[in-house]
Amino acid sequence: MRNLIRAAGYSTIALAALAAAQSPKSIVAAGTTNPFNTPADVQQAAPLFSTNCAYCHGSRGEGGRGADLTAGIYTHGASDADLFNTIRNGIPGAMPAVAITDDQTWKLVAFVRKLGSAGMGEKATGNASGGKAIFEGKGKCKTCHSIGLEGGTVGPDLTDVGRRRNLGYLTESLVSPEADVPIRYRAVQVVLINGGTVTGVRLNEDDLSIQVRDTSDNLRSFNKEDIKEIKHDKPALMPAYGSILSNKELADVVAYLNSLRGEQ
Amino acid sequence: MAAVAAASFSLHAQGLPVTNDRLLHADKEPGNWLMYGSTYNNWRFSRLDQIDTQNVKNLHVKWLFQGRHNEKFETTPLVVDGIMYLTRPENDIYALDAETGRVLWVYSYRNPERTYNCCGKVNRGLALLGNTLYMNTLDMHLIAVDAKSGRELWKTGIYDYTANDGYAATGAPLVVKDKVIVGMAGGEHPVSGFLDAYDAKTGKLVWRFHTIPQPGEENFGTWAGDSWKTGGVTTWNTGAYDPESNTLYWGTSNPWPDYNRDDRGTGDNLYSCSVLALDPDTGKLKWFYQFTPNDTHDWDSTQIPVLLDAEFRGQQRKLLAWANRNGFFYLLDRINGQFQFAKPFVRQTWNKGFDDKGRPEIVPGNEPTPEGNDKIQPGIDGGANWMAHSYSPITRLMYVFARDERRMFTKNAIRHVTDDEIAADAAGGRGGGRGPAANNGIFGTGGNLPGVAGGGRGRGPRFAPEESWGKVIGIDPLTGTIKWEHRVLTPPWGGVTSTAGNLVFGGTLEGVIFALDARTGQRLWHFAGNDRVYASPISYLANGKQYMSLAVGDVIATFGLD
Repeated sequence: MRNLIRAAGYSTIALAALAAAQSPKSIVAAGTTNPFNTPADVQQAAPLFSTNCAYCHGSRGEGGRGADLTAGIYTHGASDADLFNTIRNGIPGAMPAVAITDDQTWKLVAFVRKLGSAGMGEKATGNASGGKAIFEGKGKCKTCHSIGLEGGTVGPDLTDVGRRRNLGYLTESLVSPEADVPIRYRAVQVVLINGGTVTGVRLNEDDLSIQVRDTSDNLRSFNKEDIKEIKHDKPALMPAYGSILSNKELADVVAYLNSLRGEQ
Repeated sequence: MAAVAAASFSLHAQGLPVTNDRLLHADKEPGNWLMYGSTYNNWRFSRLDQIDTQNVKNLHVKWLFQGRHNEKFETTPLVVDGIMYLTRPENDIYALDAETGRVLWVYSYRNPERTYNCCGKVNRGLALLGNTLYMNTLDMHLIAVDAKSGRELWKTGIYDYTANDGYAATGAPLVVKDKVIVGMAGGEHPVSGFLDAYDAKTGKLVWRFHTIPQPGEENFGTWAGDSWKTGGVTTWNTGAYDPESNTLYWGTSNPWPDYNRDDRGTGDNLYSCSVLALDPDTGKLKWFYQFTPNDTHDWDSTQIPVLLDAEFRGQQRKLLAWANRNGFFYLLDRINGQFQFAKPFVRQTWNKGFDDKGRPEIVPGNEPTPEGNDKIQPGIDGGANWMAHSYSPITRLMYVFARDERRMFTKNAIRHVTDDEIAADAAGGRGGGRGPAANNGIFGTGGNLPGVAGGGRGRGPRFAPEESWGKVIGIDPLTGTIKWEHRVLTPPWGGVTSTAGNLVFGGTLEGVIFALDARTGQRLWHFAGNDRVYASPISYLANGKQYMSLAVGDVIATFGLD
């Protein structure tokens, strides 16, 4: 039930917050911009995200039951007002309304935007074209990672990684790749009773079976009654590049990754 | 049985690529289901025989795929060496382990909030070539998706989906050589129909066949005035392909307006309600046969064409069998389109015979009237519709899940459908006061009560169970004789599949999933699915064992023996 529709502006935010406390719905008009957009607002929203959003969207917004918010793609509308309305009122059949005040909702809008543009405000020091050569050559990164339609699918798609990840994260992913592996790309080794061993990433699993994309990019499924052991996160599928590349080469690869912004 | 050996413990992606050669010989891979109709002749016949008339009583659910969507599931899954690919409404693709139903990857396509589908936001399935899956979308795109990863490879716009009150694409594409053949829907709106062929690699349009002749073309004069511009004649289901003669067979829909010829005139309105025989390389018309000239009953001819080679009248012949929405079973020569015979397979009131060319002689009094004509049979949804038929080379019978029903036909003034009506359709299925629960079988229709609103667009009230029912029939396609009939409570919306185990599988609108003896029609097994069946079954192997899958409600239910 819509019991509060605000025409424009933000002058009635206090009223809206009051209404929000009494009613689950609050809708802002198209064109309304976020009045809570400072770094402090983003910081204040972090616990709100953990409490209300992380269960479905992942603790870092990487997605799970809910959409990957680091992608910066908002299928239910990308404007400030769209994001406010989506968070505040939910998506019928897909996402519950978040029961917070309007001020808090705006701060979450700022936080979500930051998640989707983590790498946008930074300038890499390395040489991107040199990094591209290493990515495609010495580093053999394309074996597992794709950019656009080129490359493997054992590792995460990197088409727009430069928009969604900051420089620190990219560097860490190269030097200590095990520090943060998205759940859909966790390594798994399936040891079969008949002696075979298959290594890959875990696609799905229940008490009866496990599904794996093996390191040759094949889709595999195993019944657990045929499995002797499942080793999770082992072996590490991505090499730690700190011992493979020089610091300069690492910086170049980071610069290249930072330059990948997708189609947007 | 030529079972595909599958190594134990795992499924194998080396099932890909699916080459043209494999598609041409899909019958040699009984463990797989490589295209909508199983093979290019659309037999929908599985050569698997692990499940047979003796042991089918032991069939039980092995796994369920929970679709979690309110829309009708009309999908026919594909299976390639242990991996099942299926569409979920509106236009999502799921890759599943065919042995367990566990999801391997998901591709999600987001349509605009408003699309212009007449009859639900449905999709009937995929086509496959190489490593690529092809899907039509409600907003008129052809999508290519990598079958290994679920990545979108390209997206081609077919047509402006908002034009002429709305176009949509709901059928499964058909791959022929290096092309993807794509039909379109929208025959309840003033659209102009076509059939397209796209380059399978690039998505570029190769040819478009206009199903209504354009000015200067042969048969243009079969439309009065400007009616050809908005005459409908869509191509919303899937066709067949004969590699030997290099011919594509595709059915066409009703002319628009469905129940009113005032503007269309009394000409044949070609090529509505017809089968088209086309050169798949060029889109050039080889021949056509029109089942229902100048139709006013929405009797689309978009059924699935079934190709047969058989001795007929003393000669080996290449034949085309067609159980039509107008209630007649037809046999045509598929090389030249010549009419052989037609016989009714449901009760019919409109036809008193055919001339030598196969032109029907019309019984007067079978026209829609402004006040409503409830004496016409078959009903608005026809004796057959889009649901797949099956042919067994063992029994040499064709199996049709037929609708034997009585309905109201109402002629209304010619007008374009309004936005509000389209929105109402989108919310509640088709018009005529049928809400979301309307398709849940005889007790959910509500339309059984005479006088329910909705006759204005031909969606008139349904009649009592004593007057309308469904039936699986086994027809001898060379004589049109019905060898057996298995009656069910409600006119169905699901298709049938036959197997080398001499079984015919299908499901009713109330959710009774059944196996019949293909020789007698006797029901040998059933499962209470308790939701509407709007799809046709498939059968396949996973890990060397035979399974049967069918969508019931929003669940893909998969059955096996142990």
